[in-house]
Amino acid sequence: MTMALEVRNLVKRFGGLVATNDLSFDLAEGESLGLIGPNGAGKTTVFSQVMGELRQTSGSIALFGEEISSLSTAQRIARGVSRTYQVPRPFSDLDVRENIRVGLMPDSLRAMIFGAADRDREDELALSVGFTRQDLDRPASELSMGDLRKLEFARTLATGAKVLLLDEVFAGLTTGEIAMIAEVIQDLRHRGFTFLMVSHDLPAMEPLVDRAIAIERGTLLAQGAFADVLADEAVRASYLGVA
Amino acid sequence: MNLRPHHFILWGLFIAGMFLMPELVGKGTLRTMIFACYLAMFAISWDILSGRTGYISFGHPFLIGIGAYTTGILTRRYGFPVEASIPIAVLVTMAGGLIVLLPALRIKGSYFALVTLAVMELMYQLVPVVRPDLTGGTRGISRLPALTRGAENGYYLAVGLMLAVALMAWLLMRTRVGTALWAIGMNEESVRGSGLSTTRLKSFAFLVSAGVAGMAGAFYAHYLGTITPRAFFDINVLFQIIVAVLIGGAGTIVGPIIGAFFMVFLLEWLRPYLPGQERFFVYGLIALVIYMYQPRGIMAIVEGAWTRLRGARS
Ligand SMILES: Nc1ncnc2c1ncn2[C@@H]1O[C@H](COP(=O)(O)OP(=O)(O)OP(=O)(O)O)[C@@H](O)[C@H]1O
Ligand SMILES: [Mg+2]
Repeated sequence: MTMALEVRNLVKRFGGLVATNDLSFDLAEGESLGLIGPNGAGKTTVFSQVMGELRQTSGSIALFGEEISSLSTAQRIARGVSRTYQVPRPFSDLDVRENIRVGLMPDSLRAMIFGAADRDREDELALSVGFTRQDLDRPASELSMGDLRKLEFARTLATGAKVLLLDEVFAGLTTGEIAMIAEVIQDLRHRGFTFLMVSHDLPAMEPLVDRAIAIERGTLLAQGAFADVLADEAVRASYLGVA
Repeated sequence: MNLRPHHFILWGLFIAGMFLMPELVGKGTLRTMIFACYLAMFAISWDILSGRTGYISFGHPFLIGIGAYTTGILTRRYGFPVEASIPIAVLVTMAGGLIVLLPALRIKGSYFALVTLAVMELMYQLVPVVRPDLTGGTRGISRLPALTRGAENGYYLAVGLMLAVALMAWLLMRTRVGTALWAIGMNEESVRGSGLSTTRLKSFAFLVSAGVAGMAGAFYAHYLGTITPRAFFDINVLFQIIVAVLIGGAGTIVGPIIGAFFMVFLLEWLRPYLPGQERFFVYGLIALVIYMYQPRGIMAIVEGAWTRLRGARS
């Protein structure tokens, strides 16, 4: 089985704080992995290192067998990995369609200048995450938190990456919206996309993952089937506050 | 922005009006308009980089100055024809800016502004002392070959150049590069997170901006006929460029043009009442009031009025 992502002995220090502590895990191609842990456990920091937005202190990160630690974020995205942000980062003055357009853009000046935007694809992506046609021309500054999360997800999908890191995609969404995003994720799983998912909404996450890993203070606590990980003593102690 | 029929009509009227102007106004006003056209080109150049990406350049007078000095030195010291010296001036400005300012684009916004300001001041200090045989020292270079004869022709050249620059900038900003540059101004991390090399995009915007600045600076030098360090590497020049963009409306093409004309004519009208430097104080004050009333500039004020007008009629 090809490994989409291999993280080996990853360490990230912020001064005295160890945010990632000798963390290793694998993500097979087409697999969906839940990453759980209490607030401040270091989940987002793992994402940032995989994307190259933060440089790890030590350890290696390989994407489809290729070491990517020395690559820029743009180069990593071009090789097929992309993320959403826990706090949505929209382009406020651009409308929904234009926000997605930025995600769809090829990283080539020539193509950006001389090629036209693919309007159909923009609309298709927007509608697929639950926007309506009326939403397409609305500036991001007017969107609700739920809409911003959908936009964040659509822009990440637009990059064309097959390995998607989702950071709290369900936060602030209504039950209906969660169902809609979950459906999109299930569809993408059937189409062979690979997921690494962070969510505090465990019931919403459970059906979307094949397995889970739990971390606390950057250290791996447990891994395995979702239910087993949640039942793990250490995980219960740290995460659920149940001794 | 989507084009509507009234945009074409407005542009048509504007261009027709500009070309009829010499029939309607005196030579003095015409000269003021020539200056406004060049200021508009400088402002569009500044806006391509700073108005879009949010990387505020304090170094545009430096770029304009390189363009001016290059064509001045080539024509006056080496006998180059202007057909060669102006294109070379554009390339030298792009290269000069690249070497000096481009590394600064890698650092965050406010540092970029400081570095560009420092470079401009450095040039002001350096130009008179390094090779004064070429630069003419503090006295500068005079008797540059004129490109046109009379205010009227100078005016047509300036208007033509300004429209060409505006058209080029408009076409470029309509492409996905324009969208991406604008997006950088809103959230650079997100643009990077969308898989785009923001350094490359910013460098491109910088190069285009520098090319326009160098070209406009070179033509302006030939129009003036003389170049002195203070006329180019000056904080007042910088101030007027930035104010023109902010007052007119950053991130648009028409905005910098409106802003440039508005501020230049404002200064002219104030001249009889306030002959000295106080004029700049009043000028700054008016700019501030407009900016506080509508941070998106005169463009947005006019658009708002237009919308209200249509709303009132229907
Ligand atoms: N840039 C930074 N500089 C210093 N410390 C940081 C930085 N980013 C994160 N940290 C710290 O690293 C630890 C892990 O943070 P991280 O955001 O990865 O946690 P998380 O698991 O995503 O938490 P949450 O569930 O609240 O999103 C925290 O203690 C945080 O304060
Ligand atoms: Mg987090």
